[in-house]
Amino acid sequence: MSSLESNGLQIEDLQVSYSNGEPVLGKLNLSLPEFGIYTVLGPSGSGKSTLLRAIAGLLPGYGGKLLFNGRTVHDQHTLVGLVPQNYGLLPWKTVHDNIDIALKIARPGEADKAAREAQIERWLTAMGIAGLSGRYPLSLSGGQQQRVAIARAFAIQPAILLLDEPFSALDAMTREGLQRLFLAGWQEHPATALFVTHDVEEAILLGQRILVMPAGKAGTAEAPELLDNSAVFGMPYEDKRDSAEFMERSRTIRRMMQERWQ
Amino acid sequence: MRQRLRHILRLLLVFLVMNAIWYLIYLLLKHPILPSPGAVYRAMFALDCREVALNVGYSLLRITEGVALALVLGLLIGLLMGRSPFWNRVLDPVVYLTYPIPKIALLPVVMLFFGLGETSKVLMIMLILLFQIIISVRDGIKAIPESTYDVLTSIGAGSVQKFWNVTLPGALSVILSTIRISLGTAISVLFFTEIYGTEHGMGFFIMDAWLRLDYSEMYAGILLFSFVGFVLFLLVDLLDYKFMKWRKVD
Repeated sequence: MSSLESNGLQIEDLQVSYSNGEPVLGKLNLSLPEFGIYTVLGPSGSGKSTLLRAIAGLLPGYGGKLLFNGRTVHDQHTLVGLVPQNYGLLPWKTVHDNIDIALKIARPGEADKAAREAQIERWLTAMGIAGLSGRYPLSLSGGQQQRVAIARAFAIQPAILLLDEPFSALDAMTREGLQRLFLAGWQEHPATALFVTHDVEEAILLGQRILVMPAGKAGTAEAPELLDNSAVFGMPYEDKRDSAEFMERSRTIRRMMQERWQ
Repeated sequence: MRQRLRHILRLLLVFLVMNAIWYLIYLLLKHPILPSPGAVYRAMFALDCREVALNVGYSLLRITEGVALALVLGLLIGLLMGRSPFWNRVLDPVVYLTYPIPKIALLPVVMLFFGLGETSKVLMIMLILLFQIIISVRDGIKAIPESTYDVLTSIGAGSVQKFWNVTLPGALSVILSTIRISLGTAISVLFFTEIYGTEHGMGFFIMDAWLRLDYSEMYAGILLFSFVGFVLFLLVDLLDYKFMKWRKVD
């Protein structure tokens, strides 16, 4: 992996403000090597979601630079996949069509119908929802909808994958199942993933590195902390929670949260 | 399937009850201004098929043209107002001031400007529907949560792709409801416009029978006109069934 880490997501002096000039996020400097899962922890108002929205191209008025492999993120060379908290599915399209339209838009003219169908089938099967292809989102449970959203995000084969508290509305069992599916999906398509969560356990279970945002408006106080979590990340999912490394990492982060967020 | 059959049976039952009430009133009145249902149905089946088709065809054509024109303009203006705060600020006072004007009162003005021919008839239907469609499209579009666009925006969707995949389907439910409500008004206006300057259309047919004191034929015309309205309602229901399947949760 280390040979690939020379490239990745470069965030330089990123600043986002409300229309009245009040800063929401800024100035943020970060360098995130390619092909990693970065879980983002932070208190409310620390700018976690704003960071994701800026990278997703939803806040075009941001200041500073967002580069991926040396190129501005929002040019046509970098594909960004987004999994929002509310799943972001179009309720008037079936599961199949939700993924199909994303493929058509994200990769115009690149894949013919047969290739698209194969891609849809592949990711629906990977997420264990191949049988739901013809269903509409409103007829699915929250967990099923989130599986569709993750399948859609992976299906477009993004360079950057952004997940904004995707499992926060789900019960513990469903959440655990989806965490496993997400990790399995990422193994198949290792994008540079930023995973925002408010759950310390989830951050440790999923992240290769953990980005701890400072309290208040990021950048106005301290710089965010990037913690290495590769020891836990490399373990099989089922062993993680009981490992000494997990406990240690959990203690460190909670201590850090107490010191920095209060 | 069974549900649909039950629905058809219910409609049939209501139709029979309405005819029974009509027959009762006929028995009570015993006056030539209200013929019996039997006499009216006999008059209806005695009508020349070509003449009926021509009159129904003219009415349908006018209403289709009026609705289509109102839909195209209403969608464009409603979309502009729903998606652009600037255009909403500019156009909102215009709509606010002109909406309360009773459009049917503009009939003489439209006739003066566009004559007694087809143009004034189609324009009147369009005018009646336009404002309701503008307002419902605008409100329907505004009701779509901004976050619905996020995933498509993040993968680089353009305005046209967002319109076809989010804006239009998101507002379609409100648009169909507005068309359903407005159709009744549009059919009434069509009747008024077919009283003048034409020798075709259901409005003309009914008024012509009335002038000839042929009440059975007049009622037959009213029934046929109602049937045209019913078919249009069914058409909107069909569109609703086709495009709104996603609302029905299993």
